[in-house]
Parts: sequence; C-alpha cells; structure tokens
Amino acid sequence: MSLRPTRTFHPYAMLAPTLAVLALFCLVPLGVAFHKSFFAWDLLTEPEPVGFGNYRALLASGELGELIVRTLAYSVVVVSASLTLGLALAVALNREGRFYAFVRSAVFSAYVVSWVAVALLWLWLLDPQAGLIARVSKGLGLTPVDWLGNPRVVLFTLAGVTVWKITGYAMVIFLAGLQDVPRSVLEAAALDGAGPWQRFRYIVWPLLRPTATFVATTSLILSFQAFDIVRVMTQGGPVRSSTIFVYAIYEQVFVNMRVGRASALTVVFFVLLLGLTGLQWWLWRKSADSRVAT
Amino acid sequence: MSRERGPSRRVFALGLGALFASACDRPARPAGEVAFWFSYGGNNRKVLLELVSRFHREQSAVRVVPTFQGDYFEGLVKLRTGLFVGAVPTITHVVGEVVPYLARAGVLERLEGVGDAVLSDLEPALAQFGTFEGAEDEPLVALPFNRSTPIAFFNRTIFRELGLSPPTTWDELRAVASRASLVGEEARWGFECPVDWWFWTALVGQAGGRLVEDGRITLGGEPGARALELWQAMVHDDRTMRSPPGRDFNAWEASNGDFLAGRAAMIWTSTAFVRYLEENASFPVGAAPLPGDVRRAVPTGGTFFVMPKGLPAPEREAGLAFLRWMMQPQQASEWARRTGYMPVSQAGRRELEATGFFREHPNFKVAVDQLSVAQRWPWAPELFRVQREAVQPRLEAAVSERLDVRKVLAEARLVAEAG
Repeated sequence: MSLRPTRTFHPYAMLAPTLAVLALFCLVPLGVAFHKSFFAWDLLTEPEPVGFGNYRALLASGELGELIVRTLAYSVVVVSASLTLGLALAVALNREGRFYAFVRSAVFSAYVVSWVAVALLWLWLLDPQAGLIARVSKGLGLTPVDWLGNPRVVLFTLAGVTVWKITGYAMVIFLAGLQDVPRSVLEAAALDGAGPWQRFRYIVWPLLRPTATFVATTSLILSFQAFDIVRVMTQGGPVRSSTIFVYAIYEQVFVNMRVGRASALTVVFFVLLLGLTGLQWWLWRKSADSRVAT
Repeated sequence: MSRERGPSRRVFALGLGALFASACDRPARPAGEVAFWFSYGGNNRKVLLELVSRFHREQSAVRVVPTFQGDYFEGLVKLRTGLFVGAVPTITHVVGEVVPYLARAGVLERLEGVGDAVLSDLEPALAQFGTFEGAEDEPLVALPFNRSTPIAFFNRTIFRELGLSPPTTWDELRAVASRASLVGEEARWGFECPVDWWFWTALVGQAGGRLVEDGRITLGGEPGARALELWQAMVHDDRTMRSPPGRDFNAWEASNGDFLAGRAAMIWTSTAFVRYLEENASFPVGAAPLPGDVRRAVPTGGTFFVMPKGLPAPEREAGLAFLRWMMQPQQASEWARRTGYMPVSQAGRRELEATGFFREHPNFKVAVDQLSVAQRWPWAPELFRVQREAVQPRLEAAVSERLDVRKVLAEARLVAEAG
C-alpha cells in the first residue's frame, strides 16, 4: 500500500486538528496579546489606544532590561547545573543492582512531586530561623544565610531548588542515552588502553551530544516558564530580586491590572524565546554540519 | 474503500455555535441561590460558615453558597476576571481601596435596598459614608462587614519579665523594641511589622501627614519620609525590627508565626487576629493601640461587601436579604466577638459593651477604642493603583536597602501621578 497521499489536501487534513489546537491556544492568544499591547486596559473599562506607550514604559522604567537579565541568569544556572548534575548522576548510577536502582528512583522522585509541594518543602528547609538548614548551620557554628530574604542570594536559591527538582529528569534522559552507547566500542577502547576519562571524553560524550541538546532545550523551556516556585516561595521579592518573566506578566495583569503592559511583556517574551530557539537551532545545525564534514 | 459521509457543514457550524453560546452565557442560578465569594481563612472562615448555616436554619427562601477564593488580592483577581467574562458571584467582599476603582468602572450595584434600618445603624467611621474624595453624594455600593485597624500585640510574659509597657510614642517604640530584643542563641526581635502600605499609612498619619491633600497625591510629604526613616532606623541602626519576608499577606503570616513562636516580642498586625493569636499562643497575649508621633492615627482596614451590577432582580433581592441579615446587630456582634474584627453595627457594639464582653476580653476593645483616631481613606479611583503600583513595591526596597526615602517617595509620586 502506497503512503503517498491520493489527494493534495490529505496532508493538510491530517495536520488540521493539530493546527487548529495550535491556532486556538497559541497563535490566536498571541495575536490578541500583540493587539492588546497597544492599549491601556484593565479588563473592566474601555481600552484606550496608547501606541507603543506600554513598550516605552517598560523600557523607561528599566523593568524590561532587569527582567531579561534576571530571567537569563536564572536560566543559565538551571540549565548548566541540571545538565552537569544529571549527566554526572547518570554516569555514576548507570550500573546494575538494587542499591543503584533505589538511588535512581530517589533522585527521580523529586521530579514527579508538584512544584507547589516542592516550594513549600524548601520554604520550611530554608527558613532562616526555624529551618533545618539554619539549624544545621548553627550547630556547625556557621552564620545561617537568609536564602530567601537576601536580594543577592534569592534568585540562585530558587535556581537551586529548580535544579534539585529537575535533575532527576535530566538523569533519566542521560541514562537512556547511555544505553545507546555500544558496549563493544567501550571495551575495545579499554583494551587499547583508554582510561575512564578518555572513554568518556572521546566516546561517551560525543554520542551523548544529541541527548544533551535535548536536555538543554527542555530545561531552558522549563526555566523560562518558572512561575509556581516564585509565586509560592518569594512572590517576586525581596525587592523584586526574584521577579522573573512569567511572574512579571502575571503581576502586571493580575496585581497591577495592566493588561496592555502584560501583553507587551508577553510579546517581548515571545520574541526573546524565538531568538533563543533560533540561536540554539543554528548552533545545533552548525555542530551537526561540522560533524558531517569531519 | 467506501467513503462515509460525515456530519454536514451546517450541523458542524450549528454545534460549534451552540458550544460557544453555552460557554458565553452566564448560567442562571436556581431561584433564591446566592453565590458568595469570600476570602476569610482559618478561624474567620469557620465563623463565617457557621453564620451562613444559621442563616439557613432561620429561613428557607434564600440559600447562600459560599466559595473560598484565596486572600483579598487573589479574590479580587478572580472577581475582575469574572466581571470580564460575565461569571460573577451574587456577593463578594473587597478591600476598601479598590471600591472607588470598581465604582468608576460601573460594575457595582447600588445597595440602598438593604434598608434604612440597617444603614442608620452602621458605625459611620467604618462605612462608606463620606469616603469618596471630593464627592459626598456617591451612591452606596459598599457595605462594611469585616472592618479592622492595625494594633500592637505583645508577649505579656516577656513584657512582665522586663518590666515593659506597650509604647505610646515612636521614641518609646524604639526603646521598648531595644529592651525586648535578644541576640545570640535565643535570638529574638523586639519588634516585627510587615513593611506594608497599611502600616506605613498608619505611620504617615501619626507623623501628621495625609496621602492626598487638596485632591493632590502627596503620599504624606515629609511625614511620609519620616515614617520610612523610623523603619530604617529600627532595622539598620537599632537592629531591633524584623521586616518579615513575602509579599502581601505572606509577610503578615510570617510575622504572626514569629510572634507565636516567641521569636518576636511585639508585632503590629490587624485586630482581625485577636482571637487567632490568643488561641494559638503558648503565652498570654496583650494588645495595645499603636503609638503616636505628633498625633495618634490609624487607617481602617478589612473589606466591604459589594454586589456586581446587572444581576437578575430575584438574585439581587436574595443577595440583599442575606446582607441585611448579616448587618443585623446580633450577627455583627457575633462576628466581632468570635474573630476580633470591629462590630460594624452600633447596636451590636452596645450589646458587646452591655454584656461585659469587652470587660472580659480587653484585647477586643483596643481597636474599637482606637477608632476615635481612625482616619478616613481618601477614596479615589486611582487609590488602588497608587497603593499597588506606586507605593507598595517601593517600601520594601526603601527600608531593606536604606535608600534615600525622599527620592523613593518622589519617584512613587511621579508613578502615581502618571496613572
């Protein structure tokens, strides 16, 4: 039976349900947001056209620049740390035995817990006076750090909690990637005198690169979507030092009642993500081309 | 392979149309049903639900369906979204600052229908009368119920051991906080207060200022700056005050938690927590009015009942019947007695005095007595935005980073005036 479509419209008909969902939940809302970004509107009164006023206000107040820097800083920590830790754990735990199976399950279990539960758990652990970490610090004679109350520390604390939650996911994906590394190649390299580090550097890592790209991409998306953890643990504070993009959009529309400004932020966020995705895609293509060339 | 004909385009279009129509139409409520969105948690929620149960026992024509909607600000988000999509409750309650904004948007129903008997019995300082800035004759759109003022709570055990009395001036506040603070293993804050608009407004009033003067947003002028400087001095110089972490009521909960755990000797919070703090503390709790600076002053707080405009007449009448019942002296005094909020009914207050309740529970009387120095909110449509966007986000930075308070307030005034 031929898989070629008998009518021209068949492929489009097959794509139609997905396209309809995409249009309804992504493209139309994005279009509406783009349109609303040129208005001052609070949901209740008539929208007033303000041209580029919302974009200008975001730029003039410095809010946009601060948000981009803060969100990127958070994402860089989350992506790099979850990638590194996930890979390290996958390599260390890629062995048989009940103990390793238990540790793998334990590490992954954090990923299936809801964000709100994770946030509440860490709120308790990080309490500067009554929290477990503060008590241990005091017991060791150290001065407890105000993990959530210090504006210079809080963003990295949130990134750390995020890494704790998603590293199990990265580990599982890397474990799956490791299953595809041919054992015979590793054995041959070992017979040729390659040590563990050389085997990892020259055989395992090149074969894991597509997996790493996938983990990096999904972690990046996840870090840009962070909301629950901010909402529960810090509400963007102290002094807005943990207000990252999605939370700022929520704040504008639901706290400040500025739908237009929130829409402008959404449009900028979309363009930023589009740019980052394009950059990632370009780097991936470049790296794939260079591999083919060699 | 035979091709089966699917539903015709017309049937599909009709189905889609019906789907949208059903999604957009507000479902009619059963006759006599009142949807009540509320934001009370803990003990206050329990008391409210018991009042609703009693209302049901006393009559059968109106059935109230209460639904918890998160804290005041979360509830407001849901109300606004509900108003936009046309899925509104019959009754809800909102903070006073937001009433003029909702009134200007034209989304609130007039509530005179609750009856003259109810209206003439309301405590004037807690009701809508005379609150709208520059307009005395605004229609009645808000009825008070859970109304409060900020008061000081102190740990009687600590105060007795140290021979301290509740402070009556700012200087005494600093001195008492200093005496009650402990450093080292058993660290304790002498004073804790959320760096929040409400408490800052109290300080501005005590320093002799007003947020709006002659229709102009001044944010207190020099007294506004002095209010922030007091906090800065207590946090950075004296190191006796903790500014609890978290936004809005998260910070309030943190400060209550520190007080109950003995980590703070004295806190400022709402009178609404009298019952909660008394019942959950392992030590005797004292309450006192806030201190004064050049004068004594406090803002009022809490919320007002409002009703969205455009409800079907039977639903509106059912909602008014419930409000009328809730405003009666018996319910108003029960609510006050069991929570700590102030009785909004004058007869209800007199009943609490006559039965000796205030004599037996002096902590409950602090806010009622303090009402004599309560300042009216300057209700203007911009007030809520001034609070949420211009002032509140700047207070925390001004105190924790010890910024130049006059610059901070000048910037806040610019944002407030820009609208």
